[in-house]
Order: sequence, then C-alpha cells, then structure tokens
Amino acid sequence: MRTRGGEKAGRRSNPLAPITYLLRNAGKTIPLTGVIVLAVMLVAGIISMINSIPLSIRTIYSYSKEFTGVTPRGDATKTLPILEEIQAKSPYAIDRVIICRVTVTEIQSIVGKWPFYFIGMNDADTRYYLQRQRVTGIEGRLPRAGLPEAVISRPVAKNLNLKIGSEILGPTKEGGFSPNSVKVVGIAETDRWLMLSSIEYLREYHFPPIDLGMVSAKDPAEQPKLDQWADKHFKGRQAGILGYFQVEKDTNEMFATLYLILNVVIGTLVLVVTLMMSMLINIYQGQRLVEFGLLQAIGYTKKQILTRVLTETVLVVILGWVLGLFAAFGLLNLAKTVMMDPKSYALDVLDPVAYAYSIPMPLAILAVAAGTVWWRFRKFDPIGVVERRIV
Amino acid sequence: MSLLAARGARLRYVDHGKEHFAVDGVSLEVQPNEFLGILGPSGSGKSSLLYLLSGLKVPSSGQIEFDGRPLSQMDDTERSRLRLKEFGFVFQQPYLLGYLSALENVRIAEMDADNSAAAVALLNQLGLGEKLHRLPHELSGGERQRVCVARALMGNPKVIFADEPTASLDHRNGVAVVSLLNQLRGEGSLVMVTHDETMLAEADRVVRLVDGKVSD
Ligand SMILES: Nc1ncnc2c1ncn2[C@@H]1O[C@H](COP(=O)(O)OP(=O)(O)OP(=O)(O)O)[C@@H](O)[C@H]1O
Ligand SMILES: [Mg+2]
Repeated sequence: MRTRGGEKAGRRSNPLAPITYLLRNAGKTIPLTGVIVLAVMLVAGIISMINSIPLSIRTIYSYSKEFTGVTPRGDATKTLPILEEIQAKSPYAIDRVIICRVTVTEIQSIVGKWPFYFIGMNDADTRYYLQRQRVTGIEGRLPRAGLPEAVISRPVAKNLNLKIGSEILGPTKEGGFSPNSVKVVGIAETDRWLMLSSIEYLREYHFPPIDLGMVSAKDPAEQPKLDQWADKHFKGRQAGILGYFQVEKDTNEMFATLYLILNVVIGTLVLVVTLMMSMLINIYQGQRLVEFGLLQAIGYTKKQILTRVLTETVLVVILGWVLGLFAAFGLLNLAKTVMMDPKSYALDVLDPVAYAYSIPMPLAILAVAAGTVWWRFRKFDPIGVVERRIV
Repeated sequence: MSLLAARGARLRYVDHGKEHFAVDGVSLEVQPNEFLGILGPSGSGKSSLLYLLSGLKVPSSGQIEFDGRPLSQMDDTERSRLRLKEFGFVFQQPYLLGYLSALENVRIAEMDADNSAAAVALLNQLGLGEKLHRLPHELSGGERQRVCVARALMGNPKVIFADEPTASLDHRNGVAVVSLLNQLRGEGSLVMVTHDETMLAEADRVVRLVDGKVSD
C-alpha cells in the first residue's frame, strides 16, 4: 500500500493546496521550473560576463582615481608652470605634486591587450604613491634610482605571470621595450594595477623626454572634483588633463552599442522563453480541464479555482527564479575562480544590474499565465467538460 | 413544503439554427429524505433535468426552487456554495483527481481541512478502509465509483444527485452502489436518473421522462 506523508500531517493538510499539486506532479513542475532556472541563469550570467569587460577596464585603470594627471602639449617646458598654476588656483586643497616620466607597455584584458603606463618617480614620491594606492605590504623591495628595476602590484604580477626576478621590459620584449632588461624587484600588495620604476631610469633610457605631473588632492574624496576643475580650467590651452572620469566616459561610450545589442538579445530571449512557457502552461492546463470542471461542479467557485492555479504558477515562477539566481551565482563564482581570477580579470558575481535583468522574465511569464487561465475560465462550462469530456 | 422543486422548467438547445427543448416544461417536487428515481431512455433529457435541479444549468424558462427560494435569485457564488454544502453529486463517469488518494478525493468535497475522520468513516462503510491511500489508477472501476459515492455523501448533503452512477459498472456492482447510496444518505434526499428500471428497486417514487416531458 502506498502512503503519502505521515498520517498526522495528512489529516490536517488541504488536498487542494497548490503545493500538493506541484509536488505530486513533479513531471510537470520540474520542466516548468527548469526552463525558468535556465533562462534566469542565462540572463544573469550573460549580463555579468559582459559587464565584467568594462568593469575590468575600470579596475585596470583605477589607479588614476588617486591623481589628476597633467601633460604639456606642444611645449615640453610647460609642465612646471601648469603644476604651479594648479597649486595656486585649485579650489581644492592639494596634498602632493609629483613629477614623473612614463613609458607605455601592455597588459592582458578579457578583450585582448590594453596599453598600460609604466611610471617612473623618485624614491620619496614612489613611497607616497604606493601608500596612496592602498598598498598594505611589499614582497621584495622598491627599485633603486637609475637601475633597470621595477615594482609592480599583485594583479599585474598575476595578469602577466611575473615573479620577483622576471623581466618586465627588455630589448626583445614585445610590447614593452627598454634597452636594458628591466627586472621585477618588488610586488606590492594592493588591488590596484601598478608598474613603477625610478624616474632616473626612465629619463636615462626612454622617450619621450617630457616630464609629466600628477597632483593628489588632500581629501581623496575631492580628487574627482579636482580632475573636473583642472579639465575645465585648462580647456583650449597647452595642457592635457587625465583623470578617472575619462576612463568612465570612454568605457561608457565604447560599450553603448554593445549594451544596445545585448538589450535586444535579452528582450528576445525573454519573449521566446515566455512564449515557450505559456505554451507549456497552456498544455498542462488543458490536461486539467476535467479537474477544473469537476471542482466547479461540486461547488468550488471559478475564483477559488483560478486563485489556486495562479498560486501554483506564482510558486513555480518564484522557485524557478530563486533557483536560477543561485545557479547564476554558482556559475559566475566558478567562472571567476577558473577563468577570471588567474588573470586578475574583474567579475562581479553579485552584479545588481545582472540580477535586475532577470526580473522581467518571471513577471512576463506570470502575466501570460494569468492571461491564459483567465481566458480559459471566461466561458468555462463545467458540465460540458465533465459530462461530455470536451477537452 | 418540498425541499427541491421544478416549476415548468425548460432547457433549450439551439442546434444548427434549430431549437429544441431537452427539458420541456417539467414540474416536480423532491421531498425531504425521499429517494426519487427518474427513468427515461437515452436522450430523454435526464442529465439535462439533473443539471437544472442542481443549479449547474439555468432553465431557459420556468424555475427551480430550493427550500422555497428560486435558484435564479442566487448569484454564482451562492449557487456554488449550495452545491458545496447542500448538494452531493455522483456523475455518470467516476471522475477523480488522479494525483490525490482515495481519502483525499473524498475530502475535497468540503473546504474544511479537518474532515479526515469523517472521510475515513465513509470509506470504511463503503468497504474501502484498506485502500484509503491508493491513487485512483490503483483502484478498480467499482472502487472508483464508490469513492465518488463517498465524496457525494461528505458533509451530509440535503440532496444527492446521481446521474446513472451505475453506467460504468456491471449489474451486480451497480445495484450495490445504489444500495450503498441509499443506506448512507441519512436524512438526505436522493435524486437518481437512469434508463435501467432495476436500479430503482429501492426508490420511494419513480418519475418517467420522455422527450423532456414527465409522462404518467
Ligand atoms: N449541448 C447540447 N447542445 C445541443 N443539444 C444537446 C446538448 N446537450 C444535450 N443535448 C440534447 O438534449 C437531449 C437530452 O440530452 P441529455 O443529455 O439530457 O439526455 P439523457 O437523457 O441524459 O441521455 P443519456 O441517457 O444518453 O445520458 C438530447 O437530445 C441531446 O442530444
Ligand atoms: Mg445523461
């Protein structure tokens, strides 16, 4: 003999409880839930992965959050006057002005190689700079003045697979030329991406022979304002201002079209899944017309039957959605550890935008399901169904 | 006063533009605690009459009264309530919900979640005490029909309607089902339609239906 649940539990539970139907018709509940789980996982996963591209780029260049970069234009002697003007006129208190030299090298991004600045400063400035970049410790030591040595941060070391003693620039190194073999002598612990050497080395061996400036605000929270002010102040003059706001602006512009395409794709996916689900729901409900007719004939109102069916749908959709979110979270974590972290690529496994994108689908499915049930019940004749078996 | 009454009730169908009356001016009364048999050949309008009496269909003209109140004065919700609380049904086919056990199929006749004991008692009386937790597909046709009888009897309805409850059974089982319905209905009235006169041996009164009309 088959028994279901304890005798005690069975006594009080309502046989027509939506959960009873769902549990005992797992053959229907599981595919319905499964489709939602997969669709939600897909949407949240795709959005998170795509979002990781601009996120990675922003992370790579996030060191620029701490300084307003200054370059002279057309006249290499203008660096000092520009920096003096900033100090004199800035409405925001200035903490330090750093003179530096720069050469361009490359790092790996999720979408190929990106240029990255290899910066040279004097020893005191290097120490200040590292502290400002939230460095908590250094493996090895700082580069010595004039020697072919570099200190890099942990994400860069991972990204380029570098250790203490590895060559970072060299005469034959692709994408990172230097006449000498420049070796990594220190790895700084921070989430910022950094490559530093001494200004003396860069002045000696690298083009262009132009000093650049970096200005830090006393209050790090005022740095973006200082960026904006300087950008406005020197507009149209022989000075270029570089700041994190440009990274943000550039990534936004770069990905605008991609996001447009993505929206269309996700929209289509929502449409397809909703159509598929409503077809499934329709078929399953069609198979239950005799049940609905019988219940109505023995005295349940249309409203009660409708409420019950809709509650079942709501439960399935919510269950599918929640499981889908967990599945997406699990999958993204997997992708992060296996694919992203080894190369220091950024991926937000709790990207709110990605999870927000998964909301329209369950809502659309609910709306369509409610609509189809309502349509069926509009002109529902229990007798026609029960006695003549019109299904 | 009668419990249930039809007064000049007619039910019209329009079939390919031609109208005809499945129930054609039937007046009859059902007394409390009475077993009323309605006998008629196939197509005579027995099922149609039962739907009118039970409020499952609305008469095209004439009216149906329960406890002196015309059903036409009740709204859908009230009529549903009446079917749930005061009426019981045994349909021609033993319709059960496939995913519910015999016991649960009986319990759905009431919305009260605490009606298990009553349902078990009824199933015991119908000889299904050992099969309470079986699913419908694990029961024989006769057993399924007995579960339907138990469902109709739940909550001691004032009127039990039975539409050829024996149609899907062999003669011996048919007679047994009718007999059980009759024994277990308590104070309730039983209105049963059939084309088989032998099923109405225990009826207090038999009305004959021909072409939608009561004939004497
Ligand atoms: N929906 C309908 N549309 C048109 N005619 C119908 C409809 N339902 C029933 N009828 C007709 O009404 C008449 C009575 O039908 P009803 O089902 O009440 O007969 P019955 O006495 O129950 O027959 P049976 O013993 O075969 O079940 C029949 O002639 C039938 O064809
Ligand atoms: Mg019939």
